[in-house]
Amino acid sequence: MRERVSVRVPDPAGAVRAAASDDEPTTRERFLRRAIVAGGVLATGGVIIAGLPRLAVSAQSPEQDAEIFNFALLLEFTQAALYAETVERAELTGELFEFAKVVANHERAHVDFLLEALGDQAREEPVTDFGNATSDPDAFGAAAVALEDVAVAAYNGQAANLTKGALRAAATIISVHARHAAWVRSIIGQPPAADAVDAPLTAEETTARLDETGFVQEEQR
Amino acid sequence: MSLSDFTDLRLADLDRDGALREAADNLERTSRAGFFAAAAGGMAAAVALGRPQAAGAALAKSDVAILNYALTLEYLQDAFYTEAQRKGALSGAAARLARVVGAVERAHVKALRDTLGKQAVKRPFFDFRGVTEAPERFTRTAVAFEDLGTAAYKGQAHRIKSPQVLAAAVAIHSVEARHAAWIRYIAGVLPAVEPFDEPKSAKETLQLVRTTRFVVGRPRTRSRRRPRFTG
Amino acid sequence: MTRRGRRLSLLSAAVAAVAAGVSLVALAAGGGRGSVAPVAGAGPAAGGPTLAPPAEPALDVPQPEPLRTSRFDSTWAAVKSAAPVRAAARTGAEIISRLGPRTPEGTTNIVLALDRVEDAEGSLWIKVRVPALPENVAGWVPRWALGGYGVVRTRLVVDLSDRRLTLFRSGEAVFRAPVGIGTAQFPTPTGDFYVRNKLSRYRNAFYGPLAFGTSARSTTLTDWPAGGFVGIHGTNQPGLIPGRVSHGCVRLRNEAIVRLARLLPIGTPLRVRA
Repeated sequence: MRERVSVRVPDPAGAVRAAASDDEPTTRERFLRRAIVAGGVLATGGVIIAGLPRLAVSAQSPEQDAEIFNFALLLEFTQAALYAETVERAELTGELFEFAKVVANHERAHVDFLLEALGDQAREEPVTDFGNATSDPDAFGAAAVALEDVAVAAYNGQAANLTKGALRAAATIISVHARHAAWVRSIIGQPPAADAVDAPLTAEETTARLDETGFVQEEQR
Repeated sequence: MSLSDFTDLRLADLDRDGALREAADNLERTSRAGFFAAAAGGMAAAVALGRPQAAGAALAKSDVAILNYALTLEYLQDAFYTEAQRKGALSGAAARLARVVGAVERAHVKALRDTLGKQAVKRPFFDFRGVTEAPERFTRTAVAFEDLGTAAYKGQAHRIKSPQVLAAAVAIHSVEARHAAWIRYIAGVLPAVEPFDEPKSAKETLQLVRTTRFVVGRPRTRSRRRPRFTG
Repeated sequence: MTRRGRRLSLLSAAVAAVAAGVSLVALAAGGGRGSVAPVAGAGPAAGGPTLAPPAEPALDVPQPEPLRTSRFDSTWAAVKSAAPVRAAARTGAEIISRLGPRTPEGTTNIVLALDRVEDAEGSLWIKVRVPALPENVAGWVPRWALGGYGVVRTRLVVDLSDRRLTLFRSGEAVFRAPVGIGTAQFPTPTGDFYVRNKLSRYRNAFYGPLAFGTSARSTTLTDWPAGGFVGIHGTNQPGLIPGRVSHGCVRLRNEAIVRLARLLPIGTPLRVRA
């Protein structure tokens, strides 16, 4: 049984928006205005020479941003689909369902942002198969934890590779995934935040984790 | 976070110890210096640290300032949760959070101090004015602290020069966000309200910390006066 | 073919493709809008992107550890504003002493914080040990009269019959020294007190190089200026130590008090045993 202290707590996030800030208020708008995709320049026209391994920290570029964001978009698409389908099936109840409804909107917003940033370079939406993860509470909880955690780790893994503008935008998303993860863990009775750091994942590890869920067909990746 | 949220706190003058002022000044100074240095094509002066970085490289002054800024906020959180746990006024989920999150913040403090070595800012002295000793005030303040910590790390990420420091910062930033969601859950408010979390500048963050008046001058318990004890 | 089997065959094909100099990027782009369908020679992690690995973090964050508290921990509090000390945790209860924000030496006054309670209105009261005659008393002050807390793990014990001072840290003796104590006429008071300030760089050889102020007060020198407080200090008469030689103060030889000063934090509880 979860315990709650009943307090009236104002919404700091709302207050954050309302409060005057030194920095430009929406990092994503600034990023979108500059448009990482200009005239179709992207990875296909890229400068990767076959056979050479990438440097440990690669030079940042809008093209690389696009590649990274397309990778992130795969994760966001998957999450958005999980939550949207869960809401549509309406078989979960209580806190888990409330969680799914709120988070579905968040993930949809993430997808929309990345689609706008990537323009016609955006990857296709994958075909997903969640099995009973959109209707069974245990399976849903496990799925949500897995996908939120892998999103945090994947973004964290690429933080140093993003251009500064893209990093500012990505940072506004990473913490929301982390919130989702702790939230759903709280609901299902798992320790919400056991670790002192969130270890990053490489792209390969992320892909492997995604494969483990079985939610996305390989051809779609 | 609006000031009316802290009904028992008033707008205050700067912290007497200067810990916050120092952190803010350093950030401002090195960010300007860093900007000019970068504009001139040079590199900001490197500062040798207690812990060797990747390939033994020294860190840029602005990165040191950012780490010290993070350390200041971690000191605050560490002291807050540690005192709350010692006071024993919490119970249930809030007590459990204070134990777990306190241990994590203490680990963050240790890591930052180890990396910064002699460059680390000193631990401030805190007066939490009973907030750590009353469950409802604790919970409200913890929500504000964790949301603030997340926004503060987020506000600095793009300014970090070293990829290794950035890797460390993002790995902690997301943990603070988990804490924020957790305490919000305990408080009975939405753990994640918006699809995007906004950053806070250092100036705004430190100003907010100042308004809490939790950072105070260390009590002066030393004197040069001649003793007048009984002898 | 199983999923795993397919992935492995793609992987080996990818290795071959790389060796053949095919652009990794075009392969990785398989699945993007408007691109060709993935070739059998798709890149490593079959179909996933080839992004650079993360950087090594500059911070070495240790495993979080539980807080180590012990029964030897003691808490002191700075006094922020003057307030009456009451026999019970409610306004209007009998006043048994008064707290001021400064000691006679001009330092911030501190008290030991012993307990905590909320009154009927939800206000916080702290039970504190204060210097009062004939012995330190414990009474209640409102939380707002106090400032921040400090915690120490040390305890100081002065044994009058042994003429010995011992400093314990977490229950373990870390310092011992012989002491000069009060004469029969002006005895060192017994009881539970605490160390509240440290004086140094004054020029007075009688007190040695440094002195600690305590909350203990002489029961006989009640008219003494500045309240008749007992100090722990050095001396210009080391030959008298150990012995019953003072007006109540606890005297150490100078080299001993300098050593003690490195180990003794302000706020340490002091017990004087007969």
